Amino acid sequence: MRVPWSWIAELVEFPTPQDPAAWEERFPMLGLGVESVDRTGDDWVFELETTTNRPDWLGVVGVAREVAAACGGRLRLPAVELLESDPPAREVAWVEVLQPGLCHRYVGRVVVDVQVGPSPAWMVDRLERCGLRSVNNVVDVTNYVMLETGQPLHAFDLDRLAGGGVVVRRARAGERLVTLDGQERALPEGALVIADRERVVALGGILGGQDTEIRPQTRRVLLESAWFHPVAVRRTARALGIRTEGSTRHERGGDPERACSAAARAAQLVQQLAGGRVLRGELDVYPDPEPARQVTLRPQRLRHVLGVEIPEPEVEDVLRRLGFAPRGDGTRWVVAVPSHRRDVEREEDLIEEVARIWGYDRIPQTLPVDVMAAGAVSPDLVAERRVREALLRAGLTEVLTLTLLHPGELEAVGIPEGHPLRDAIPLRNPLTRDHTHLRTTLLPSLVEVLRTNRVRGNLDVHVFEIGRVFRNSSAGWEERKVVGIARIGRALEGGWNLPPEAVETSFYHLKGTVEAVLEALHVPGWDLRPEGQPWLHPYRAASLWLGTGPVGWVGELHPDVCERFDLHGRAYVAELELEPLARAARTTPQYRPLPRTPATERDLAVVVAEGVAAADVVRAIRKAAGPVLERCEPFDVYTGPQVPAGHRSLALRLVFRDPSRTLTSEEVDGILDHLRQRLREELGAQFR
Amino acid sequence: MYERVEEVRRRALQELQAASTAEEVEALRRRYLGRKGEVTALLRSVAGLAPSERAAAGSALNALRDELEDSIRTRLEALRARERDQRLRQEAVDVTLPGRRPPVGREHVLGRTIEEIRDIFRAMGFEVVDGPELETEEFNFRRLNIPDDHPARDAQDSFYLDDERLLRTQCTAVDVRVMRERTPPMRVVTVGRCYRRDVVDSTHMPVFHQVDGFMVGEGVRFSDLKGVLAEFARKLWGPEARVRFQPSYFPFTEPSAEIAVWFRGRWLEIGGCGMFHPRVLEMAGIDPERYTAFAFGCGVDRPAMVRYGVDDIRLFWENDVRFLSQF
Repeated sequence: MRVPWSWIAELVEFPTPQDPAAWEERFPMLGLGVESVDRTGDDWVFELETTTNRPDWLGVVGVAREVAAACGGRLRLPAVELLESDPPAREVAWVEVLQPGLCHRYVGRVVVDVQVGPSPAWMVDRLERCGLRSVNNVVDVTNYVMLETGQPLHAFDLDRLAGGGVVVRRARAGERLVTLDGQERALPEGALVIADRERVVALGGILGGQDTEIRPQTRRVLLESAWFHPVAVRRTARALGIRTEGSTRHERGGDPERACSAAARAAQLVQQLAGGRVLRGELDVYPDPEPARQVTLRPQRLRHVLGVEIPEPEVEDVLRRLGFAPRGDGTRWVVAVPSHRRDVEREEDLIEEVARIWGYDRIPQTLPVDVMAAGAVSPDLVAERRVREALLRAGLTEVLTLTLLHPGELEAVGIPEGHPLRDAIPLRNPLTRDHTHLRTTLLPSLVEVLRTNRVRGNLDVHVFEIGRVFRNSSAGWEERKVVGIARIGRALEGGWNLPPEAVETSFYHLKGTVEAVLEALHVPGWDLRPEGQPWLHPYRAASLWLGTGPVGWVGELHPDVCERFDLHGRAYVAELELEPLARAARTTPQYRPLPRTPATERDLAVVVAEGVAAADVVRAIRKAAGPVLERCEPFDVYTGPQVPAGHRSLALRLVFRDPSRTLTSEEVDGILDHLRQRLREELGAQFR
Repeated sequence: MYERVEEVRRRALQELQAASTAEEVEALRRRYLGRKGEVTALLRSVAGLAPSERAAAGSALNALRDELEDSIRTRLEALRARERDQRLRQEAVDVTLPGRRPPVGREHVLGRTIEEIRDIFRAMGFEVVDGPELETEEFNFRRLNIPDDHPARDAQDSFYLDDERLLRTQCTAVDVRVMRERTPPMRVVTVGRCYRRDVVDSTHMPVFHQVDGFMVGEGVRFSDLKGVLAEFARKLWGPEARVRFQPSYFPFTEPSAEIAVWFRGRWLEIGGCGMFHPRVLEMAGIDPERYTAFAFGCGVDRPAMVRYGVDDIRLFWENDVRFLSQF
């Protein structure tokens, strides 16, 4: 809404001279955003951003009223003095409203014997400052009054209206209209239209028709000033893809009272600019006048909500300046709400009005006096934070990726058709072709992060994301938090002189990251089992088991996928469900006494067949050794000439300790003998 | 005798000085002070001297022995130190070669901002909670006093999944859920992702973050809202931060305000706030006569751009490690 300061100055009697420049700061403090200010000559034109609850601000008068209220000035509305002539308007034209629910009021004014022509310079200039082009003196008047009052108007050539009148109704199937812009439009059935006896002549509140427009030869004018339902106008405008000054104003919801005064104002100006005679009376269809509203305001409530004491006379003064009429004693006011402020419905609305004009900046800053418990973090967020910190400490960088994707991305990372992760929930109204579904896994976006970086020459990429995925299950749509990890490149920086296997990321680096997370959370009883996923290297993949089920997967990304994404190297990826981990996490681990007795260490080299997992060996050793075995860790794996083909040698460090006494060397040797025996029996192990 | 002692002394010290290894010094010790050493032999010969000379000769020889022992020890220490130094010299490292380390983990700059925001509000007694991103019209709109025909409900602006469900357009929906489940007083904050049908450009993404909080109690005032948000701004933007509250309009708050922070010479709009509309409280089963409530919602992404001097919002989502490692 473009508002020239010169127009405001015409409507307000200022108590003191005002500097328009200062209003760039003052308008926003009233709730009127200033998008830009243009200086044209000695005038200032403010481009104001108005909120949707204030239709009155779409007229200069409404803005001027705020200015007057804020600076203690007086609003001077233009005087409307109509010279009316006979015959009465109702004898030459008629208005019928078939849809009073969509058109609460329709006011028509008839002006005859007009001379259509160019507008005077002041009119052209003012319209231009407000961003409108001059058309002719009659059309310009309708636009001018709209800019002034906020009330959209339309002018019909009365002689071209079949039957000499208009009817407000819904469009019928197949009706068409050539609008003022020259376009022929098929009207949506049920749209709010203005018609004459034969055809549709205007889109109600949006745009007029070409057939009935004001032209040089027009002699008799029917002025329309109506209240159309905001939703009806919005729907039709949207359906037809039209947005006009009129539709914008109707969509905000106007003031039925204003419709009448604006019609008179327009008739007066038409007469002034185009000559002619205004016929007596208006054609006013207003079957169900809206009652005036009254709202109660209690000073005590005002103080309670705002946290500041505003003297009662000041409150009354602010309300009056805005056009409200407060009555009552010191404990409550009954405030009559003017028709142009239909947005004010309850006490809180009045409180805001007082605060706004009195000044938000004058309300102090206080801290709540309510005594409450100290702040807390919900347990799931605590666990999430711990996971995040563990991953950061493990050297991974946090990334954020979009929740939306294209299902093709799921296919591209190797999730086969029919897999539950391919069952992504679609958006009903996607905006772009690449964001059509909700992600079911972080995998595609993390692989994409690897790709983006690798093609840009960032070879070492170690990232994680804690994010939500959305899955379609039998129970309905589920929203879950998962932890995704992706690593590629060197796991050790500055690894000069080191063999590649010590430097490059491997499955075990990934596993170490996962272990770090589980350890940070003190999750007990987890287990990695060699289980594949279609998108992983079939022999370098595992599931993380917790309790009775898998809660995630880890592994090397399938070489085919690596190739498809131009990764040029081996990538390692994992995804863990956050909620089961958070549930299993021990937030308050319990102290265990530190041992006071010495430990005895032994190394044991076990030769087993290739298929026997390290974990099987460790499990068998633990079972056979019993509680005196404190630790049992593989420290070397060897295959080569010194072990039989199809076998490997696993070197383990065993630490024995009895917390109550010192174990003798003979005892430990005895346990080892027992161990070897059991390993031979259970796993066919040999010893080197 | 005296000349003899002096001659041995001179020779021994000379040879000691010439010795360049610990072994040579040990050999000298044996030659002079060993069982068959020269000094030992001289000491033995004292017994054969005239009684008048014995005392003087004995003390001169003892002094010589002590002096030689001292010199040998000193010499040995010096030589050992030199040998150790030579050995260590061979272990010299080039301190300018790169250090070996695992990669350094970095927080995403938005992730870090979100954690900072959570900490600030927790320190002010707020409880930090989380809520669903998949929302219903009920919580995202209706219970926020946004009626069915309100322009904010336009499907143009929101991602819908079906007739009733959509991706939340603001985190205020979480406020509504919490208020319905609990009884006042409450002081709750949430930070999370929201969605809007925006075309991607340098300042828009369809996904963005919002911090949203509210406080309900007997006697929660607009001035408290100003105080809490001013404190928040000082904690996040620095002690000099000034906050501006300008009147605005939201269907779910009354009075409503827009919040801006003065940063690097200009006002930066960070979000909206106000006192919860009585109808919102009513719909949450809270008596608006007895309780009042403030609520606020602030963007996270765009303020973070300004704070860290990031000129394109897409950088946050592209995850180039050269960008991520700058924070």
